[in-house]
Amino acid sequence: MFSSRKIWIFLGVLVVLALIVSGCAPAATPTPAVEGKKLKAAWIYVGPIGDYGWSHAHEQGRLYVQEKFPWLEALPPAEAVPEADVDRYIERFIVEEGADVVFTTSFGFMDGTIDVAGKHPDKILFHCSGYERLPNVGTYFAEFHQLYYLNGLMAGALTKTGKVGYVGAHPTPEVVRHINAFALGVKEVNPEATVDVRWLFAWYDPAKAREAAESLIAAGADVLAFTEDSPTVIEVGQEYVEKGEPVYTFSHYSPMQQFGPDSCVSGQLVHWEVLYEDILAKIYSGAYTTTNLEEVDYWWMLKEGAAELGAEFGVPINPKFEPALREKKVTDPVLGEISVYDLVMTRLEQMSEETVLFDPFTGPIRDQEGNIRIEEGRRGTHDELWLMDWFVDNVVAEIPR
Amino acid sequence: MILEFIVAALKAAIPAGTPLLFGTLGEIYAERSGVLNLGVEGMMIMGAVTGFGVTLATGNVWLGITFAAMAGGLLGLVHAFLSITLRANQVVSGLALTMFGLGMSGMLGKRYIGTPPPCRLRVAPIPLLRDIPFLGPILFQHDPLVYLSVLLVPLLWFVLFKTRAGISIRSVGEAPATADALGVNVFLVRYLCVFLGGVLAGLGGAYLSLVYVPAWIEGMTAGAGWIVIALTIFAMWSPGRALIGAYLFGAVKVLQYRLQPLGVSPNLLNMLPFIFTIIVLLAGTGEVIRKRIGAPSALSIPYAREEK
Repeated sequence: MFSSRKIWIFLGVLVVLALIVSGCAPAATPTPAVEGKKLKAAWIYVGPIGDYGWSHAHEQGRLYVQEKFPWLEALPPAEAVPEADVDRYIERFIVEEGADVVFTTSFGFMDGTIDVAGKHPDKILFHCSGYERLPNVGTYFAEFHQLYYLNGLMAGALTKTGKVGYVGAHPTPEVVRHINAFALGVKEVNPEATVDVRWLFAWYDPAKAREAAESLIAAGADVLAFTEDSPTVIEVGQEYVEKGEPVYTFSHYSPMQQFGPDSCVSGQLVHWEVLYEDILAKIYSGAYTTTNLEEVDYWWMLKEGAAELGAEFGVPINPKFEPALREKKVTDPVLGEISVYDLVMTRLEQMSEETVLFDPFTGPIRDQEGNIRIEEGRRGTHDELWLMDWFVDNVVAEIPR
Repeated sequence: MILEFIVAALKAAIPAGTPLLFGTLGEIYAERSGVLNLGVEGMMIMGAVTGFGVTLATGNVWLGITFAAMAGGLLGLVHAFLSITLRANQVVSGLALTMFGLGMSGMLGKRYIGTPPPCRLRVAPIPLLRDIPFLGPILFQHDPLVYLSVLLVPLLWFVLFKTRAGISIRSVGEAPATADALGVNVFLVRYLCVFLGGVLAGLGGAYLSLVYVPAWIEGMTAGAGWIVIALTIFAMWSPGRALIGAYLFGAVKVLQYRLQPLGVSPNLLNMLPFIFTIIVLLAGTGEVIRKRIGAPSALSIPYAREEK
């Protein structure tokens, strides 16, 4: 068909064309400087926005800042991104859509984020829930252990069987830490009660969550908390309340009280928008640049307004449970005899103060073997909490290794 | 104590297996008529979202269930049109259906996220039977859809193996040209069977979003449609074995969590459904080969009259 000479000419032309095209590409999409009029930000989610959990909550934050900052162009997010593919998505946002900032919102995105950041030192990336940083990569996280502890106080007061259940997603340090905080709360009010755990090995699987919840109830648990991105556990609790065998629940991440108005006591709510607002404002003002993020690690909780107690915004405790919680009294070495309701409110206040007056991980704290892990009078350090791989002594389950 | 554990686990296994039972019964009919439909996942999830949406709009669960069945059936008809009338590749068409269903349901369902269902199907224990020791709590304290799925098993078995219509279906799946020569309307029979398959898959989806979970969550079928395909082979295209397979699978799902406190490694338990799927396929296929029955001969081969 072609003579070999023609093929060479053809290939030569092709190479030249490719060079021209690739050479033009960066020039064709000029990257606006940070001080310019607009800032382009992109979000990458690990789950579908429709999960009503983790990714849904991040999306609420994105919508908030988009509304709030006229100078911000929040690109349509990429949802349900496989963890191994994240670098491709980041590249797409940076190269094709000209994003200045990219938020990657899953622990599993860490390696991909760091890789791409090395290739694009002129862009800012923020990785949620990781620990690796670069001059142009910061990290951020809204931490819940204070809320789980407060939930635990209420769970300890409400359990009649003395068995409290927890449906855990994956045995990661984060989930272990939250189970521990929850168990410490339970123990403070109800020293005899135990916390049992079932592992799903999924962040999001309603059917598994239901089976795990049912199996905890079958084993005697009458109060349940969980880490999973759907309201399924609350639904199960509501069904049992309607059956006349009450099971009380604590919601996770999104406002889920509506799914179990008679079962859901309280829960953990997140305000990612507080973090996004702060980060983006600082990038826009020039406080954060591509060279100074190595030490920027947000670890925000109640005090900063990143975490909120409740299963509905503005409602820390479902009013239906107020009488029961007021009735149950405990004796605190400092506060004296106090109702669990007041104890929760006092602790909430203490942890929301500018100088945090209380932390659940204050010694002495023993693990399941009885070893002291945090000595008397000392608070667990950031690293101790961040890397936690042991259960406190009133948890009766094991961490799968 | 141990008896209680068994009763509770078996009781939970039935609802866990019910969506699979609906789906498998439907797929059996479709495949018996010679049409392989890999779109079960898509039909199920469209049933789930439609059922939830209609229930939310009307406040009537039964209306929701009806529309879910119709949505599944409608998607089934799309597959029927592509694979029977246009004689497209059934594997491709089925896969397309699954992808379409997953995407479309995600889009339609956006507004239902975070909305609790306005009403739900209550558990309706059957009087007298519910009090039988051991069996009562396991079998007779469920919601109406569970009973419906169980009643469908003998009914569909009877129709398939003991009636003229059943002979037509099976002959169309085995030797469509011969059936055609004998005056059976091959196209009509296949259309009806694929439609029924869709209807039942839609019901399975509605069971998930209205009874089992109950809420709309994107991608909530989480692979149930694929398990249905495996169960159809395990069932050797017979409704009775579909019941056994679906409940076995339900039991595996349930035990996965109930065995965790006994010190069985959760990682191992987590593999159970997948190991079970493989065993099901091995056992099913082995038996199919040994007994020389099972897969309809004309499965996944489009029928065309003039090519006789």
